[in-house]
Amino acid sequence: MTEKRSTLILRAVKTGSLGLNKLLIELSRRQLPSGGWAELISSSQTSLEPTCLAALALRSHDFHAQERAHDFLLRVQNPNGSWPAFAGDDQDGAWVSALGVIVLRDVATAIPARLSGIYWLMGCEGKESNWLWKWKFRTADRHVRFDPDKSGWPWIPDTVSWVVPTAFAILALSPLRCSCGSLNEIGVRVDCGIDMLIDRACPRGGWNAGNGVVYGAALAPHPDDTAIALLALCNRTKHPVIETSLEWLEHRASTLSAPWSLSWAILALAAYGRGVAPLISSLMALPVLSTNNDTSTLAIACLAAECDHALVALGVSL
Amino acid sequence: MNLNRRDFLIGTTALAAGSSVSVPFFLPKYRLDRREKRSRVAILNVRHYSQDIDQTVAAGLRLFPIHVQDKTVVLKPNLVDYIDGNAINTHPLLVLAAAEAFRSLGAKRVLVAEGPGHQRDTQLILSQSGYETLLRNHAIRFVDLNRDELIRTRLGASYMGVKSLWLPRTVLEADFLVSMPKTKTHHWAGVTLSMKNMLGIVPGSRYGWPKNILHWKGIQESILDLSATVPVNFVIADGITAMEGNGPLNGTVRPLGKIVLADDPVAADATCARLMGFEPDRIVHIREGARFLGNSSPTLIDHVGEIPTHPTIPFQTVPEFRHLYSP
Repeated sequence: MTEKRSTLILRAVKTGSLGLNKLLIELSRRQLPSGGWAELISSSQTSLEPTCLAALALRSHDFHAQERAHDFLLRVQNPNGSWPAFAGDDQDGAWVSALGVIVLRDVATAIPARLSGIYWLMGCEGKESNWLWKWKFRTADRHVRFDPDKSGWPWIPDTVSWVVPTAFAILALSPLRCSCGSLNEIGVRVDCGIDMLIDRACPRGGWNAGNGVVYGAALAPHPDDTAIALLALCNRTKHPVIETSLEWLEHRASTLSAPWSLSWAILALAAYGRGVAPLISSLMALPVLSTNNDTSTLAIACLAAECDHALVALGVSL
Repeated sequence: MNLNRRDFLIGTTALAAGSSVSVPFFLPKYRLDRREKRSRVAILNVRHYSQDIDQTVAAGLRLFPIHVQDKTVVLKPNLVDYIDGNAINTHPLLVLAAAEAFRSLGAKRVLVAEGPGHQRDTQLILSQSGYETLLRNHAIRFVDLNRDELIRTRLGASYMGVKSLWLPRTVLEADFLVSMPKTKTHHWAGVTLSMKNMLGIVPGSRYGWPKNILHWKGIQESILDLSATVPVNFVIADGITAMEGNGPLNGTVRPLGKIVLADDPVAADATCARLMGFEPDRIVHIREGARFLGNSSPTLIDHVGEIPTHPTIPFQTVPEFRHLYSP
C-alpha cells in the first residue's frame, strides 16, 4: 500500500492535482480482497457498478488494482455471458453487463468473456419489443407516453427498457458496429436504442429514468440520467433534443452540489466540448468528497476530474 | 354402477388435474396471519411543519405501549424524487421529530433508510429535500437502501408469484421498523401510504430505477408480498400537507393537517384512506391486507386521538380510481 500510495503521489506532483490523488488513493484503499468494490464503504458485498467505475478510474493510475478488478470481473461472469449486479446474485444477468463489456474493452485476455457479454447484450431487449406487449402499450396501457416500437435495454431481463441501461449498452456495443458474422445486428440494435432514447426524452429536454410524460403530465429530467444519455448519443445523432438537453444540463450543472450528478454532468458537457474547468473546480472543492460513503460516486468523481481520459475509457464517440 | 379400472384411472386423473388447477385459487397466498385482535391509531392535528412538531410526535408516541429500549429503530420515510413545490416526500422535520422521540424512548440506534424509486442520485434528493443538513446536524445516519448489502429473502406471501427477492440488510436486521409515508394518491395503486411505502426497500442496484419488476408483477401484489415479508412495527404518516390527483409525483398539494400514528399498517392505511374520503375496502392492498396483515374495520381499531371523518371534498384521483370514493 505504501508503494502504491507513493506512486500515486508521484503522479500527483506531475499532474498538479493533489485533490484527485487523494480520491484515487481512497479508491484504491476501498478495493476488497476479492478484487472488486462494494457499493458503500460500510459494506463487504462486492458490486459490479462500483467495481467497473473504479476500474475505469484507476486504469492509468494503479495497474495492480485494475488487474485485480479485471480478474474479479472474469471470475464472476455468469455462464450466459452476462454479469450479476453483485457477487452472489442470481445468474440471470443485469444491466451492469454493459459496464463489464466496457471495462474489459482493451484487455486481450478477456476477449472471449467480452464476446459472450456482447452476445448476451444482443439477446437482451426491453419487454415492450414483444408483439403482445407492444399491442398492450398501444391500446390498453397508454398512460406513459412512449413508442413501444423503439426499444432499448432493461435493468434486468423481462422488464421494459429504460434510459440508463440503454445508454450504457449503446456505449458498450457502438465500437463494434460491423457487418461480420453474427455481430451484424449490432448496428440495428444500437440505432433502435438511439431512437428509444430520443423518444423517451422529457418534453423540455433532458432525461429521467425513462418516463417523459405520465398521465399527460411532463416529468422533470434528472441531471445524471440526462448526462448518461447524452454520452451515449454523442456524435451519433443530430436530433434537436440533444441541444435542448445540453442547454438544460449546462444550466443545471452550475447549481449542483451532489457529486454523483455533478460528475456525470461534467463528463457529458466535456464530451460536447463545453467548458467544464469551473465545474471540475467546484467538484474537487466539495467538502468530504474522499470520505463519501458511496464508492461509485467516488469513482465517477475521479473520472470527471480527468474527463478527457474518462470519455475514451467509457467508449464515448468523440 | 360398474366402475372398471380404466374408468377409475381416468376419473382420478381428471380429479387430480382439476384440483391442481383450482386449489391454488382457494388456498391463502400468505404464510402467516399477523393480525392482532385490536389495533390502535392516533390522529393528531398538526397544521404546519414547525420546530415544535417534535413535542407533538413525542406526546403521540406516549399513547402507545412502545418498547424500543436498546433496540435499533429504522425510520423509512417516503423519499422518491424532488420537484420544487410538490408535496412528494415525507417532511424532514417529521422524520427528525420521530428520530428524537425514539431516542428519548431509549433506542440504541435510530437510522433513516430509504431507496428512492425514481432518482439514482440519493445524495441529490437528500440535499434538495432538506434531509442532508438536518440529519447531519443531529447525527442521524442515513442508509441508502438502493445500495445496501443484500440478502436473498423468501417472501411471506405469494401474490406476485415470486419466491424470493434480494432485500437490504439494514431493514431485515431492524429491531423496530417504522414506515413514515407521505399521504398521497397514486396513479397505479390508488393511494400510497404505509404499506406502499415499503416498496422503497426494494434495491435499485439490483432491480433498477424505477423498480420495474414490481410494476410487472403487479403493484398491489408487490405491496402485499413485501408487507408480509418485512413487518412494519409502527406507522407515522405525514398527512400535514398531502397530495391528491396524479400522485405520487405530479399531483396537487392538499393540506390535510394530520399526522396518523398506528401500531398496525393496515389500520393506519385504512384510517388515512378514510381521511382522504376513500372507502378502504375498495383499495385492493388494504382489503386483502386486512385478511392477514392487520385490521381495517373501524370496529377493530381503537382510536386514541381524533376519530377519522370523511372530508367535505374527497381527494381527487386519476379516473381509474374514482370507484374508491366512499358512498
